[in-house]
Amino acid sequence: MALLEANNVTMRFGGITALDDVSFSIQEGEIRGLIGPNGAGKSTMFKNIAGFYPPTQGDIVFAGNSICGKTPHAVARLGIVRTFQETTLFQELTVFENVLVGCHLQARTNVFSALFGADRAKQAKAKQKALEVIDFIGLSDRKEQLASALPLGSQRALATAVALASDPKLLLMDEPFAGMNTEETKHMMDLTTKVVESGITIVLVEHDMKAVMGLCGYLTVLNFGGLLAEGTPEEIRANEQVIEAYLGGTA
Amino acid sequence: MISPRIISIVVLLVGLVILPHFLKFHHQDFLIFLGINILVVVSYRLMTLTGEWSLIHIVMMGVGAYTSALLSKSLGVSFWISMPMAGISAGFVAALLCFPLFRMTQFYFLIGSFAVGEAIRLAWIYFVKPFGGSSGINNVPPPEFWGLDFMEPIIYFYLVLTIVTICLFILYRIENSRIGLTLHAVHWQAPLAESVGVDTWRYRSLAFIIASLFVGIAGALKVHYLGIVTPHQFGVGTMVFVLIWVILGGYNTFWGPILGAVVLSVLDESFRTFEALRPAIYGALLIAGIMFLPKGFESIAPKVRAWWRSSRASPSP
Amino acid sequence: MELFLQSIINSFIQGGFFALWAVGLVLVFGVMGVVNFAHGELVMVGAYTIWVLHAQYGTPYLWSLCLAILLVMMIGLAMERFLFRPKQGDPLGGLINSIGVLFILQVVAHVVGGTGPAKQVAPPYAGTMIIGELLRIPYQRLFALAISAVALLLLWYFLTRTKLGWSLRAVAVDREAAALQGININRTSAIAIGVSGALAGLAGGLMAPMTNIYPTMGHNVLITAFIVTIVGGMGSLSGAVIAAVLYAFLHTFVTVYVSGTIATMCGLLIMVVVLIIRPTGIMGKRVSE
Repeated sequence: MALLEANNVTMRFGGITALDDVSFSIQEGEIRGLIGPNGAGKSTMFKNIAGFYPPTQGDIVFAGNSICGKTPHAVARLGIVRTFQETTLFQELTVFENVLVGCHLQARTNVFSALFGADRAKQAKAKQKALEVIDFIGLSDRKEQLASALPLGSQRALATAVALASDPKLLLMDEPFAGMNTEETKHMMDLTTKVVESGITIVLVEHDMKAVMGLCGYLTVLNFGGLLAEGTPEEIRANEQVIEAYLGGTA
Repeated sequence: MISPRIISIVVLLVGLVILPHFLKFHHQDFLIFLGINILVVVSYRLMTLTGEWSLIHIVMMGVGAYTSALLSKSLGVSFWISMPMAGISAGFVAALLCFPLFRMTQFYFLIGSFAVGEAIRLAWIYFVKPFGGSSGINNVPPPEFWGLDFMEPIIYFYLVLTIVTICLFILYRIENSRIGLTLHAVHWQAPLAESVGVDTWRYRSLAFIIASLFVGIAGALKVHYLGIVTPHQFGVGTMVFVLIWVILGGYNTFWGPILGAVVLSVLDESFRTFEALRPAIYGALLIAGIMFLPKGFESIAPKVRAWWRSSRASPSP
Repeated sequence: MELFLQSIINSFIQGGFFALWAVGLVLVFGVMGVVNFAHGELVMVGAYTIWVLHAQYGTPYLWSLCLAILLVMMIGLAMERFLFRPKQGDPLGGLINSIGVLFILQVVAHVVGGTGPAKQVAPPYAGTMIIGELLRIPYQRLFALAISAVALLLLWYFLTRTKLGWSLRAVAVDREAAALQGININRTSAIAIGVSGALAGLAGGLMAPMTNIYPTMGHNVLITAFIVTIVGGMGSLSGAVIAAVLYAFLHTFVTVYVSGTIATMCGLLIMVVVLIIRPTGIMGKRVSE
């Protein structure tokens, strides 16, 4: 059974059709690339999946259950987490605190427990988890630094860590390689591979073709809101329609 | 091994216990209201942690005051029950209002909360039964305990000191707990928080309910000292004072609003002789404050520390 | 029946005032992005000016009215220059400043008028117009209605048919774009608040012979202006005018047949409903973050 299915998803904003009858399915353990020229509808698709707004038509099914119309935090509870375009972090908090917020689902508490310390064990576990995740992405030596003080590559890694801390089954990464130099890109690629090897399925929206071709096992190509092609990186690289879309458009 | 912070708090408390004995009646009075107002501002700050500023806070104080007044005067309930009930009723009303109010954010929430608050106030004016209309409810009985005379300012002051200290302790604990961290997250990056499973609506509501609960208790404290509650005590004018204390004091730290309330109340008292001009002086202070100290009084402390450090460092050649 | 017809007339007159109140608030918010909490006090100053000049010193009403308009306009300009301009981009700071002005103006009113009961100004246009057997409209009220309508029409003409007016609207829609096109933002803000002040002063001056004058009379003005502005749409002037008339009808009729307090409560609750369902109001477009 597929982990995530998009079935005839259509998204309209007023007069604009951002997504037009798009269907695809993603298997567990994949790294799927969702690519296409600017304005193809990739971010819109992410927002539909992550629950920021429901699709106008169509359905999204996760692990056999429809998640259409669920709020972002409900979707997170089911195991889908999204990272954001343009590094989004809690800038005023330290690395450790950032990841700790990510552990929310395990560390949720009510006022009374918080007051009387009845949730001490839970909080300790959450802290432990946060430290593990920070270690996983390799930021242990910076964990007391403010998020705003980190270089770009580390900030992106931190954003991934925050998402990982919530123990997702499916991670949606929205252009994590944007603005990175070669070294940062390599580092991020290694991290991404590590994440998938730990059992998390990834859908990657990205323009950096080197990263996409190097990481993804399968690609879904969108253009003007519609599904253009699907296939392995080699197949897509040779696909004439895809080449034309990128060359003719504003890739 | 006890932190300097705890020591300074203990010293402060001891000082506050001794202080009223050296003050005249009038100033003891002042201390009581200052204590109550401190609870009002610190509870308000909990809400601002989520980034939402409401204009209904003072009306929730009124909800607490009216509840305690009605329970103790009309139903003969003891203060020791009516006071927590005041908090609970304010929290309950807040919980009901979460549904309409938290469909709005930021500016619209501000205006919407103002409208609802004003509507509640008008209800107190209109429904003479049971709220007493414009003249409110009077002859609210003072607390009773072991024969102590709670109409004595000094006794009431100790009551306020005890209750407010406990409330502040609770509020401090909440802020520094997991919940406080989540509230911060909701404030600064609500979508990011949502994406990791935080139900931002729930947390905004929680902050609002808790803030209202504590300000409801403050309302009970106020009404049982004054003996009277009227709708005019909880109008825009008073709400504006709360905002001023919080903004001028600074709301980045727990102590900022307390600083604001203390400094401004003391200043206001000092100008008592200029009775008619007081609001104008207050207005001028407000403008001066926001122009020259936009981050509030609390921002003076780090500045002083930095200046102190730099003046002790050896001058560079 | 009499009461009903009378209420209709009163509703229009009230509507004129509500529109004047609201439109000033919308202008400042639309162009400057700041909520002027002292707006009600500006109206109050207009009313007090009439009391001082006309009732106390005998200056002819029309002259007093012009002076009221001028005075409040200047207060508005001063506020822009010294209080709002330094706080551009910080709406909370600007709001706090306006609250400071609120306090100061109220005290000034206290000082000028002394304490004691509310002031009253005898209507300079005494007498009542009688229509048929049923309607009695005091000339003063007719005057107020006529002037309000003229003022609103002039405003409409200014905003839609003059270059200056267009620049105001451009800034309201997209500040940055307007600046890039060479529009002087500070000057435009000054004009916006100048006009807002003038309208407030006019409203206060028109109200003076018809109502009690006291230092906190601005409170009611502000609440009404908010209700009307929200329901009509925060950035929309035509919305404000329409909402003003509608609200005036609601308020007048509920006050007559039930109570004034309930009328205001209804207004507030409608405002809340609008905020929930459609925060941009009936006709508003601009949504503030």
